[in-house]
This record gives sequence, structure tokens and C-alpha cells, in this order.
Amino acid sequence: MVDTKKAIDPITAQVLSGALKNIAIEMGHKLARMSYSSIIRESNDFGCALLDENGQQLCESVNSTPLQSGPIPGYLQGIREIMAERGYDFKPGDVILHNSSFYGATHQPDCGFFVPVYYKDELIGFSCSTAHQLDLGALSPGSIGIIDAVDCFAEGLQFKAIKVYEEGKPVDMVWRMIRDNVRATDMVVGDMEAQIATCRIGAQRYLELVEKFGLETVRAARDYMIDYSERVLRHEIAKIPDGTYHSVGYIDGYLDSEDPKRKDLKFDVNLTVKGDDMIVDLTGTSDQVDDRPINMPFPGTTDMAVYLTIRTILLDSKKFGYIPQNAGLIKPIKIIAPEGTLVNPTYPAPTISRFCPGNALADTIMHALGQAVPDQICAGIGNLYMVAYSGMIDKKYWVYMDIMAGSSGGRYGKDGMDAIDVLYANTRNNPIEDIESHQPLSVTRYEFPDDAAASGKYRGGVGPIRDIEFTDDGGFSVEGEGQKYAPWGFNGGYDGTPSKLIFKNNKGDETSLPSKVPYKKTHPGETLEIVGPCGGGYGDPFERDPKKVLADVLDDYISLERAKAEFGVVIEGHEILWDETELLRSTHG
Amino acid sequence: MKLIGVDIGGTFTDVIYTDTDTGVSRIHKTPTTTNDPSVGMVNGISELCSRYGIDRSSVDHVFHGTTIATNAALEHKGAKTALITTKGYRDILQIGRHQRPENYSITQEIPWQDRTMVERRYRKTVSERVGVLDGKAYEKVPLDEEAVVKILDEFKQEGVESVVVGFLFSYLDSAHEERVKEIISEKFPEFYVTTSADVSPQFREFERFATASMNGFVGPKMKGYIQSLESRLNDTGISCDLLIMTSNGGVANSATVSQKPVMTLLSGPAAGVLGGQWAGKLSHHERLITFDVGGTSADIGIVTERGFAESSAGDTEIAGYPVQVPMIDIYTIGAGGGSIAYVDAGGAFKVGPQSAGSYPGPACYGRGGELPTVTDATLVLGRLDSDHFLDGEMEIYPEKAVQAVQNLASELGLGLYETAEGILTIVNNNMANAIRSRTIQKGFDPRGFSLAALGGGGPMCSIEVAKILDIPEVIIPPYPGITSATGLLTTDLKYDAVQTIFMASDKVDLNYLNQRFTSLEEEITAQLIEAGFDSNHISLLRFFDCRYVGQGYELRIPVESGPIDKSNASDIWDTFHTVHKREYGHSFLNAPIEIVNMRVTGIGEMPKIGDPDFAAGSHSLDEALVKVASAWFRADGELKAFDTPHYMKSKLPIGDVIAGPCIILQKDTTSVIPPDCTATMRSNGSIIVKIGGEA
Repeated sequence: MVDTKKAIDPITAQVLSGALKNIAIEMGHKLARMSYSSIIRESNDFGCALLDENGQQLCESVNSTPLQSGPIPGYLQGIREIMAERGYDFKPGDVILHNSSFYGATHQPDCGFFVPVYYKDELIGFSCSTAHQLDLGALSPGSIGIIDAVDCFAEGLQFKAIKVYEEGKPVDMVWRMIRDNVRATDMVVGDMEAQIATCRIGAQRYLELVEKFGLETVRAARDYMIDYSERVLRHEIAKIPDGTYHSVGYIDGYLDSEDPKRKDLKFDVNLTVKGDDMIVDLTGTSDQVDDRPINMPFPGTTDMAVYLTIRTILLDSKKFGYIPQNAGLIKPIKIIAPEGTLVNPTYPAPTISRFCPGNALADTIMHALGQAVPDQICAGIGNLYMVAYSGMIDKKYWVYMDIMAGSSGGRYGKDGMDAIDVLYANTRNNPIEDIESHQPLSVTRYEFPDDAAASGKYRGGVGPIRDIEFTDDGGFSVEGEGQKYAPWGFNGGYDGTPSKLIFKNNKGDETSLPSKVPYKKTHPGETLEIVGPCGGGYGDPFERDPKKVLADVLDDYISLERAKAEFGVVIEGHEILWDETELLRSTHG
Repeated sequence: MKLIGVDIGGTFTDVIYTDTDTGVSRIHKTPTTTNDPSVGMVNGISELCSRYGIDRSSVDHVFHGTTIATNAALEHKGAKTALITTKGYRDILQIGRHQRPENYSITQEIPWQDRTMVERRYRKTVSERVGVLDGKAYEKVPLDEEAVVKILDEFKQEGVESVVVGFLFSYLDSAHEERVKEIISEKFPEFYVTTSADVSPQFREFERFATASMNGFVGPKMKGYIQSLESRLNDTGISCDLLIMTSNGGVANSATVSQKPVMTLLSGPAAGVLGGQWAGKLSHHERLITFDVGGTSADIGIVTERGFAESSAGDTEIAGYPVQVPMIDIYTIGAGGGSIAYVDAGGAFKVGPQSAGSYPGPACYGRGGELPTVTDATLVLGRLDSDHFLDGEMEIYPEKAVQAVQNLASELGLGLYETAEGILTIVNNNMANAIRSRTIQKGFDPRGFSLAALGGGGPMCSIEVAKILDIPEVIIPPYPGITSATGLLTTDLKYDAVQTIFMASDKVDLNYLNQRFTSLEEEITAQLIEAGFDSNHISLLRFFDCRYVGQGYELRIPVESGPIDKSNASDIWDTFHTVHKREYGHSFLNAPIEIVNMRVTGIGEMPKIGDPDFAAGSHSLDEALVKVASAWFRADGELKAFDTPHYMKSKLPIGDVIAGPCIILQKDTTSVIPPDCTATMRSNGSIIVKIGGEA
């Protein structure tokens, strides 16, 4: 490593680090507040960043989804490749739209907008935002639940480094084409405008910073911050005993498919630590599914799942505070992902529904790392479901995307987190009172099931049950995961419980659905129920504090019977029978 | 009118008395009695009255800023609280918005899960449901009253103290919540009861239920405190009414606060902003950034011609919980005199948010603290005078500060003074970033504002912070250290009413809007009349919370009084476009706008403190000079020692332009005036500092 400490004094470095962070927070805040679709404003499925002229991250928004901000440098690399191939150049006033998953985008719905920033005619970087657009004109309404796309062309409009503003002027024909091809037009175009406005604010702030401190100082601060992040991560990697830590994880894929290549797909992780370097080898992972979109683009999804998981575990922000998210956190880690596998698909494989597989990959990496740093991980996570609801009102499309919480496994010294988004993403639900006021839908149940928490010294988190009823004609499609493989218990903890998806018709008849459902028409009175997954338990439940077991019984997290059978705690009424408990626990083998 | 204001801080209870007829004001400080702050408060009032011969029965109003509810929330020490909610939705309070507070943390705390206010065993559901059709509420499922009684019986057996009622869509139709409340008052009058529509009649069920739960959680404690305070005041001969500062910058009477203590969570800081606003008015400044710097944190507020800025719905939280009640927009950062400077594991030079607090405190306190703090750095640079720390009442040890800063300097490979200045530069930039987020990022140019330096620490660092932001002027009020107590005597009685309506600009029902506004105004006016105001002293303000149709966050816009008709309705939409553009830098001119909430604020005008008079003590600059000592400042890019005069504020001549660098001493703070700045004392005791020379 170059000693960047000499190029900038630590005081100025700290001042600039704070100023850059502040800019990214502002960008994220404004995008969330301005945008229309709930996937951006409520679920925070967006990211913002400033990049330098080489595409290195200067700062990224913290009030957003890691999976969106992290890939931004990859987007720019893709944009540059395409523009070079096609002979285009950046010009002041340009705004570039990009979403090609074979050129750095995480998947097609995550549209990136890039504004080049100039200082005294010199290109000094880019102000960028990515966000999940509600609809890009794919084969069925919405931009999630497109689980039967057969290639990247079926996933909606592809933007390969398309200038939507040229030298300050909107390119009208491109905007017309977008309007003609997407459903819920006003929302999508409104969100795109919000993204552009956000990029312009970031560009202005970046310029103000350079004008105040000088370009050289800002660049020196950038190098300082990248080195800083690299240094802290290497310091933590070096604490891990050298060796290879192995784990495998499985996803459902398409459980109702007759094709064995589409289901029970494997992630194979060999995580090798040598000194302060780490190699994550994914060789052995299942082949890509050529005609179903659960493949994970390597740059943007696979690499982010790896980097973000390792960073979350080794540089846990509760302990380490704010660490600038930048190239420094990537340098110590090398990823091997063979081409043609789920984790590095080749053109034109579809990838739009790669979100849940990515979380399962993150979970498998955590499982491998858990052997090395058992106190820093949680037991297996419960994966998510995302449902696209849609219909027509007054000949206009409405599309609403609902994200269902997962749960985390038990943690060292702490129970699992209930009903949260997990690992590499961090979305947010929509208030019931908002949904029912604006869509012909009714959320008829949203609460925990009783007696569902996985047993452990630290119990697993509980996933909720969510029922949504149609109050008008409409339709839905689903992308989810985690029906077949239970979240893993850790170190003596019990496995958690997989999720379920149930369709109820007007008569109350129930049908089980797999974790992926293509577009299906619906009628008033029909209900879709998701029974959320519960994370795994951590540690031997016989070591759990009996008072906590009693509290869990009183709170209906576990039953009286399980308290005795799985925790060795005998309870009568509101009391622990201590003698019987001691006896039971002492004879526990 | 004779008024008393009492603000209770962590260490001191500040009491201020004013006679609005004669203009005389008196100030007194007494130690805070932490276990029962009402003891210290009543002591303070008694001491002040005795010292200055004030007849206790002549006092007309006592104004009070309290942290009882805030501390109960922050320390998670509240009542045993239960919730009755709609069947099928038992865990809304535990699920929240399913978003983790931290992106990158496995071990993080989820406040609403790790520190729940209502344990799951005390969350019970009953059959009832309100639905919504075309924006109107209807009863989908009737309330099962028998089940309610059964549950309340169970709560009673379990020893529950406080019952919260939270049903879906109660902001549109609160009949079911009200019915449960009735049942409680008939059959279980011992419960402290809160209904969600009563404390926060707005959409977003988690936020509303959390607000109601917070009220229930802190309620019994607050109610008890007020009862004991009123009886102590009575015992000491003060029988006038007690008015409590609320988070919205107004006061409410003790009966209202006993029922809705959730209104007071920002009681103390809100009084600080009002004190800053008063300081600005003394100098005829309407655009102000109030900057209240204490030992561990700094509070930032914004004041414009329209008054102080209020938070948007959805931005207000306490102890990690959303709290949806009107609040002054106060931004707090962990930076103050006690903030610790250190080098972290990655080699970065950081300051705060960890603070040395009062114990062990900064190294210079000599209480065993060895880590360098902002106060130590200020002392090392000679900007604090060890002989006059807290008016010489507290002994400090400069050599310990030097040692602590020197240790850090060696670790960084920098010089002593360079390091001390670095500590201040880093913390001042952190503070400047916080101010930036409330000004530049919200479309306000700080260059058009003055910075009001408040708190013990404000006058020490404000001018450097103002320089970073190109703010041209700093106002140091007469008594920066008791700004909050002063602020209490500048407020009015203030009640808010809110109603969620969801109405789009292309489908406006003007009749409905006019009718609802009138009815909210009648409701608020009745409350104010009941509180003893006549119509001449009542004013009403109207607001809408609006967003573009489809957006998820609202912005508040003022609405003119009087009927809304087709012609003036367009002004409302124009105002929204303008506010949106200012706030976010962009507006969607062709998009329809949705009115989400309508609001009415009722103000009952109270008597206020007058201008202080400092002219009497005024002397010449020579007489004010205490000494000349060396202090370090950066000038023309170079850090060097200046022979710096120290003046006693009480003797400063009125109106003279005093050149920096200089240090101005007074009991409750020290003002640091760097080179290239000038200071002028006004007859009302304010010091106006101009940055960049011109006075």
C-alpha cells in the first residue's frame, strides 16, 4: 500500500471525509423524499454515490440499500465500455441512463443515472443514483415477479449507456419511447426525474467541495479514505486463523418445474484466509439456468453479496461505527466465480429475479465465515418474498410492489431480529393504511404466528404472516425463496422454519403455491398469504436462561411443551419449576 | 404580570423571574435534584423569591421545561404498558417498518424489539375493523365489547398500569377507540389510558401506535411528577397555574400534559430554540441558526421570518422510536465540550461522539480523565482562561490538558498546538455539517442567517463554525448559559389539531375542506377558551401536509385563513411547488398534489419577558480589561500565538467596536473572538460578532 497519510494531513482528511458523507446522505434523503413508487420511497431500494473520474467511490448514501450503492462503480465501468465500443464521449450537461446486467448493472430494473461532473473543463467524476424502477415494460406488470423471463430481452427495456439528456437538453424521443413502453408511466418517469434531480444536487455539492478545498486535496482525501477502509478490513481479516472454510447452501429454484436443472440449486463456498487476504471461491456452484431469471450477474450482485456480507460481519457498524464504503473494502478480497454458473451467468441469460438467490449466497458465505468468527455472525436467515400486484383503473395501469420481511437467526449473546429485511438488502414495508387508501387491496393480517421461534440459547427471529386480499379485479406475480431449505441452526441451535405461500379463493379453499409464481389474474375476495420464514437458533437451547424461556412462553414465541422438550425448562402457569428444570437439564445429554 | 421560568438541566436548575410591568428580571441557579427534580425546582423558586423579596402569591404564571418524559423514554424506565389492537395485527409494534436501523451490522439493536414498550404478552387483539372506501371510513367489523372487558380484566390481574388502544384507520374513525376508552373509564378507572387517534390522528399505523405507546409508557410517571410539583408549589405559597413547555415550541397546561406527555419529549431543547429566537429579536434578526452547545451534544434549530422550523411528519423520533407529534425541528449531534479526540483502529483522527461527560470530564478537570477533549484543546490554545473558568468557581488544571493533547499529538506525529487546533477543526466541521443538513440541504443559504451562540459551549466555538459556513455574523445573547429558561418566558400557549384526509388536487372537495377547517378551529378555540383566553388573545394558523400524488412524504405548507375557493386554491398548489423546490431542489409542476393532513394550530397569547438593560454596568474598554495573555489562532494560513486581551463582559462599553483576537469573560460562558473579527456589545447585553472585520 502506498502511504497516503503523507499526502494529506489527518485533520483535512477527516474534514473531507465528513463533508463527502454529508453529500451522500443528502442525495439519499432527497431521492427517498421526492420519489413516487413505494419501492424507492418506502422500501429504500435505491443508492446514490459520487465517483471520481476513474470510477472509484468517494462516498455512498447510507440511508438506502447496500445492494444499490455498492454496484455503482460497476455500472460506470459498463457505461465506459459501451461508450468506447460505440464511439461516444461524455459532455457537460449529459445524463446517462444504464441498466444492462451484462455491463455492470445489478439487474435490469435498477436503473442507473449518471451525471458527469466538470471542474474547469476537466472531467473530475460522476454523480450517480440507481433505483429500482416500478416497471420497464417486461412481459408481465411490474419489475419483480417476472420469474418466467427466458432471456434478458424478456425483462423489459434495456438501456445501454443511453444519453437521456445531451449537453443539458432532454432527448425527447428517448423519453417518448420510455413513456410508450412502460406501465404506470407517470410514476416511472417521475421517479426517473427524481433520480436525475438527485444526481444534479450531488454534482453541485461535489463541485462546491472541489472549489473550496481544491482538486488535489479532494483526490488526496479520496486515496486516504480508500486506504483507511482497506487498512481496517485487512486488520480484521488478519485476526482470522489462516485456512479454508467451506459451506454449501441451497435454494428452491423452481420447485414445481419438471426440469431438475431448475430446482434445488447449490451454492458452494470455499473461503480461504491467508494473512490479511481472503479468497472466496464459488467453484462447485450450480450451472446457470439458461431460461429462467434467477441467475446473478457477477458484477453487481454476486460480488456485492460477497463483499457486503464480509464487511457486515468483520466491520460490524455497531462496533466499528462509520467506515467509508469504497474500493478499499474490496481490495483484500478475491472472488472466483466460474462462467456459466448461477453466480456468473453468460449472455443472454435472464437475471431479473436474482434478489432472493443473492441473499441465499450471502447466507452461505456467512455460514462459512461462522466457522472462523462464530461470535460475529447470526444463524441462518429467513429469505424474502416480493409480490407485484397490478390491475387497471379507468384504463390506467396501477402497479404496487410489496416486500415481505424475512428474519435473522439467533446471534451470539442476542436473539435473532424478528421481521426484518436481511443481510445484503435493507428495504421497508408499506403502511397498511397507505396500501388500502391507494390500491384496491386490503392487508387482512400482519402479525407473528405463535410458537414459531427456532430454539437456541439465543432464539431465532420470527417472520410474520401477511395476508393481502384483492378488493377489485387484478393480478399478481411472486418471486420468493426459502420454502424447501430451512434456515440453519448454529452451534447446537435448532433449524428455523421455511416459508409458505398460500392462495385462498372466494370460498376459502387454500392452495399451496411455490416460491415463484408467474402472473396470475385474480378476483375480489381472493387472498394471497405469505407465512414468513423463521431464522435459525444459535447455541444449545438447554443453555438458555430459564427466565427468558418463561418470557418466551408468556409471549407465545414458544409453547409450554417446547419449553420442556427443547429447552429443558418446566413451567407451570407463570412460574418456573426450578427443581424439575434443574433435574431435566442435568440429565440432558 | 410576574412570570417565573424554570429549566432543569443535568447539573443545574435555572430559574428566571421577570416583571413585565417594570422590566426587571432576576436569575438564579441551583443544583438539580436528580431523583425528584420538583424538589430542586421549588427550592430554586423559593431561594430566588427570598433573595429578591418577591411576594410568592403575586406570581401569575410558572413556565417549566421538563425532561421527565424524555428521560423515561431514553432510559426505558416507564410504566407497565399494555395494548389493545385490531384482531390480526398483534405485532405491528414489534414489526415496525421491517427495516434495520443499520445496514452493516449483525449485532445491532432494533429499538422496537430490544427495548419494547409493550411486551407481546400484553398485546391483545379484539375483533373490530374500520375499512376505507373512496377515502371514507366505514365499519367493516363491529367492536367486540365483551372481549374488551375480558382483556381489561386480565390486564388488571397482571398489574398493568397503562393501557394503550390502537386500531387500524382510527385516524379516520375513532369510534371504536373511544368506546374502549369509555369502558375503561367506567369499569377500570385506575388505568392510565391513551388512544392512538387522540395523540396522533394520522395515517401510518406503526408510527401512530408507537406514539400512543410512548405516551402510555411515560404517562403515569409524568402525571405523578406534575401532581407532586403542583402540591410542592402550593406548599411554598405559589398557587398560580403551571405551564409546561411542549415539543412544538408552545406551552400547555398541566392537565393537558398529564394526558399527553408525549407532547413534551423535546421540552428542554425547544425552550433553547425559543431562547435563541428571543436573542435574535433583541438584535432585530429574524433569520437565525440557533446553536446550543453543551458538554456532550449540540442542538441546532432554524428560525426564519415565519418562526422556527418544524419537523415534517415522519422525521420525528425519540430513543429510536417514531413519535408523530408536532415538534420543533431540532437536530442534535454528539459534539460538545466533552467530546473525546482519538485515533481509531484505522489510523483516522476523530473527535466524538463519545464524551467524557462531567465525570471524569475533560482531562483539565483533574477528575481522572486522561483523554483529550474539545475543552482541553480550547484550553491548550489559550482560548479558555483557567483563572476564570465558571467565574473562577471551578479549579482546572491546564497542565493535564497539555499532557492529554500532547499524547495524542505524539500518536499523530503532529505538534501540540497543531493537534489542539486539529481537534477543534474536526469537531467544528462536524457541527458545520450538521448545520448544513438543516440549511443548505433544505434550500436555505446560511450566508443570509446569523448564528445564535447558546449554551456554555456556543460562544467558544460558534465563530469558527460560522466561518466554515460563510455565515457573516454571530449573536451572543446576554446570558448564553441560561437560554432555555429565558426561552420559556417568550412562548405562548399552543395547541395543535390534525386530520388525515387524502385529497388530490384534481378531485378537491372545497366544501369538505372549509367545513373541516372550521370544525377543527372551533375545537381548538374551545380548548383555548377553556384555558382562560378571550378571543382577542387567540390566533389560529392553518396548514396542509401535502405531497405529489404517489409520493410517500409530506411537506407542510401554510394556508391563508378564510374560505378556500376555486381562485385561491391555486395559491395552495403554487406554494407547495415552491416549498418542494426549495426543500429538494426540484418540483414536478405538472403532477397532481395530494393533501394528506390538514392542521390547525391555535395560539393563546401569553405575556413575555422584556429587554434586559446592561447599560448601567458599562465602563470603558480599559476598565473591562482583565489581562493580556497568549492565545493561538490561525491567521493568513499560519497558526501562531497572539497577545490576546481578556475583557470582563459586564464592564464592556456599549457600542464600541472591539477588534479580535480577544476573549470575553462572563459567569456562564467564555466568548472567543478570533483575529479578523470584531465584537460589539449592545445595551441589552447581546454581543454582535462580525466576521471578516466590518462592524
